[in-house]
Amino acid sequence: MNSSSLRNIILEKIVKLFMRVMLIFSIYLLLRGHNYPGGGFIAGIVASTGFIFYAIVYGSEQVQHIIKIKPQTIIGIGLLLALIAGIIPVFLNQEIQTGLWIHGHLPIIGELHLGTPLLFDTGVFLVVVGVILTIIFSIMEVLKWN
Amino acid sequence: MSGILPLLIGILFLSGILTIILYPIFKQKLGWILSIFPLIIFVFLFSVLNDIDIQTVNIFPSDFKLLPGIDFAFRIDGLSLIFGLMITGIGFLVVLYASWYMKKYKRQAHFFSYLMFFMAAMTGLVFSDNLMVLFIFWELTSVTSFLLIGFDHHLEKSRQAALQSLLITGFGGLCLLFASILIGQIAGTYQISVIIEQGIDLVGNPKYLLVFILVLMAVLTKSAQFPFHFWLPGAMQAPTPVSAYLHSATMVNAGIYLLLRIQPLLGGTLAWKYSLILAGVITMFLGAYFSMGQKDLKRILAFTTISALGTMVLLIGIGTPLSIEASLVFFIVHGLYKGGLFMVAGIIDKSTGTRDISKLSKLWKTLPATTIFAVLALISMAGLPPMLGFVGKELIYVAKIQLPGLSWIILPLGVGANIMMVAISLTIFVEIFYNKSKKPELPAHYSEKQLPWYFILGPGVLALAGLFLGLFPGGLNNLIANALFVTKNQIKDVHLLLWHGFNEVLLLSIFAILLGVLIFILRKPVTHFIRKTIKWFDIYHLPTIFMSVMNFYLRIAGKNTQRIQHGYHRFYLMTFFIVTLAILAFQINWNFSDLVPIGGYTPIRINIVILLIVSSLAVLFAVFSKSRLSAILSMGVVGYGIALLYLFYGAIDLSITQFLAETVVMVLFVMVIYYLPKFAVLSTRKSRVRDIVISLAVGAMVTLVVLHSHVLNMYEPVSKFFADNSFLQAHGRNIVNVILVDFRALDTLGEITVLTLAAAGVYSLFRFTIKKKDTVNE
Repeated sequence: MNSSSLRNIILEKIVKLFMRVMLIFSIYLLLRGHNYPGGGFIAGIVASTGFIFYAIVYGSEQVQHIIKIKPQTIIGIGLLLALIAGIIPVFLNQEIQTGLWIHGHLPIIGELHLGTPLLFDTGVFLVVVGVILTIIFSIMEVLKWN
Repeated sequence: MSGILPLLIGILFLSGILTIILYPIFKQKLGWILSIFPLIIFVFLFSVLNDIDIQTVNIFPSDFKLLPGIDFAFRIDGLSLIFGLMITGIGFLVVLYASWYMKKYKRQAHFFSYLMFFMAAMTGLVFSDNLMVLFIFWELTSVTSFLLIGFDHHLEKSRQAALQSLLITGFGGLCLLFASILIGQIAGTYQISVIIEQGIDLVGNPKYLLVFILVLMAVLTKSAQFPFHFWLPGAMQAPTPVSAYLHSATMVNAGIYLLLRIQPLLGGTLAWKYSLILAGVITMFLGAYFSMGQKDLKRILAFTTISALGTMVLLIGIGTPLSIEASLVFFIVHGLYKGGLFMVAGIIDKSTGTRDISKLSKLWKTLPATTIFAVLALISMAGLPPMLGFVGKELIYVAKIQLPGLSWIILPLGVGANIMMVAISLTIFVEIFYNKSKKPELPAHYSEKQLPWYFILGPGVLALAGLFLGLFPGGLNNLIANALFVTKNQIKDVHLLLWHGFNEVLLLSIFAILLGVLIFILRKPVTHFIRKTIKWFDIYHLPTIFMSVMNFYLRIAGKNTQRIQHGYHRFYLMTFFIVTLAILAFQINWNFSDLVPIGGYTPIRINIVILLIVSSLAVLFAVFSKSRLSAILSMGVVGYGIALLYLFYGAIDLSITQFLAETVVMVLFVMVIYYLPKFAVLSTRKSRVRDIVISLAVGAMVTLVVLHSHVLNMYEPVSKFFADNSFLQAHGRNIVNVILVDFRALDTLGEITVLTLAAAGVYSLFRFTIKKKDTVNE
């Protein structure tokens, strides 16, 4: 669309901002997901909404340019993370997919609980983003949207 | 000290992965580096030899469990040591040998990676004490040997051979899995040592016959016994180092190992005895007979392997301590000479460019050292002194003579096979190596001096080992006695001797040699005759029959799939709904007073009523609307309505997800709507009525089920467990998320895998259409 003469600068600026806000918001959702509404799946959809709007305005190749890696690779990384999160306990002599936690206390953030479920959730997040982007980009490519 | 064995096997597996990193560094020297790994294990096993008494069985229990009951427990005893030493020793030589043989091949890193995995799997197989773990290693050898046999995958032939061997041994592997599960269920444990210790009577169990048949199928397929023998000659499509390894110490010998290992559990019955003897005798004789008619050196050797495997199975079937002893010795004998001969075949192939024995001649001139080693191996194969082969063959004769009842048929066939072996050995020697043949000389690409020493090391070491052990067979006494103790649970002193003095066995040997020489002299008419019979057999050419059965199966499967997977989305949905409906209708107790709760409803809330009315109107609008866009939008209204419903009842996460998913779907629709074909009503009145009936019925049924589920309280709801443990054990207050990522993480893993597959499907579908469009445009 940007190649045509019909450029809408306000829309372009807004979409840029929108994508960033959505990304930050999605990471927030991902991190809080264990205790409050949110989580990898929701965060994944939110993040990909940002990308989708960006792609609609600027074209999918621009999004590719920004995120550097192919959506298919993102799926792979996500699956791998989820798998690793499940397998780590085996090496510590526990059953597969036992949740492992590190508890700490940080000055500003407060109570901190880091665990394999967060890693797993990050994997889910990446898979969802990757899947949605793969589908959308494929459609856009067929429709010659760029 | 000996507890480090599992670690060593793990390192061997690791070396298979390491090849990817090591290859760019070492290039052609990769084989050298990799050969260190089996050598270390060989030296380690050799050092353990001294600790082995007649009755020692070392079991190493392991904390590492794959699943409860499947732990990687290892054992070191005479039986596993014999096999382990052969596997790692010949493995070391083969890797060195391959480092030159594979010099000009592409994908060397792949090759060595497969080879090391194969070696590790085989080593793990013979040392594992758990039946399930043994099965895992067993399957690994099948898979890796598939990769090795099909290594030249640009050739149709080797692909086919690899597939054939995988299908056949894979079938056997499945049988072994079932057998292991059955044994585990009967005994309550998969640990072989524990089953033996507790004296669990498998033989007396009513399921014994089933277990035995399953094990038998596994062994017959793996060890290339008649009628599954045909995959082994096909498997010589593999590069020669692989053939040398496959035939001598690994793969086909896994079946022999399994028989010996499982003999204390299942052995000694009539079924065991007669089925093994029958399979063994047929295979032994057929292999020897067929090998005489071949021209390709590797093919000749492949058929002699089949014969040798038949001999071993036969001996194990006989089941006397003496025959087990003979089979163990013969395994060593066979490994030593067959490994050497295959490597010699590879050397000849490299040096002259052919393996056809009717073309090869006078190799003594160009390959003197190789000739000496080959001759030693051939002497061992023919069973002549002073090689270990003689010791083995004498033992076999004794075992066969002492077999009560059946020796009248087995002994002549055995002697017949041996006569063939003598004749083949002589033929190979005279045709290929002997100086004074009348055939024209072949130009040699390489003379021996141009070959690196480590290329000839393999056959040399193996031939000399055979010679040394033949002269001093006493060195094996302790090991074999221990293996005998393990398999037969009998303490028996073993005294191997090269020279037994003049007795009936020696007379038999001399008789066999004389007849062998006679057949050798008459080899032209004999081979002519054998080839004729082989041609006659080829009417029932087993590989072809096998392939046609496979193709038939595929055709049927294809037809059935087409019938079920017709590709009409509406009919899939219809099938799904009707079947669900039928099952539910069948299950439900049609008594309305029980079916629907009378009281206990929460008071009607006005906001939900409004929501329901709006959603229902939206549905109606979607069904009857005349434009696609309005239909889609009204479906979106329905989706948001459902999301709101979730919200009203407190399922926040669900609601958010529904909102977001609905939004994304809307965006997608808006994106593609412009490109969709014109909106038209294509369905007939009849089909619309049908659809209305189905959808109303399904809707009514779902409503009923939901209402009914309120009455049913069969178990305590699982939600209580989640609510109780979510924060205490999983450190999360959001129960939905904790369920997703912790309690039910495996489900989630499955779901994201499905998502991935869906994405792959969409991606490839679009790729396909893009490509098609492009080609059309061109």
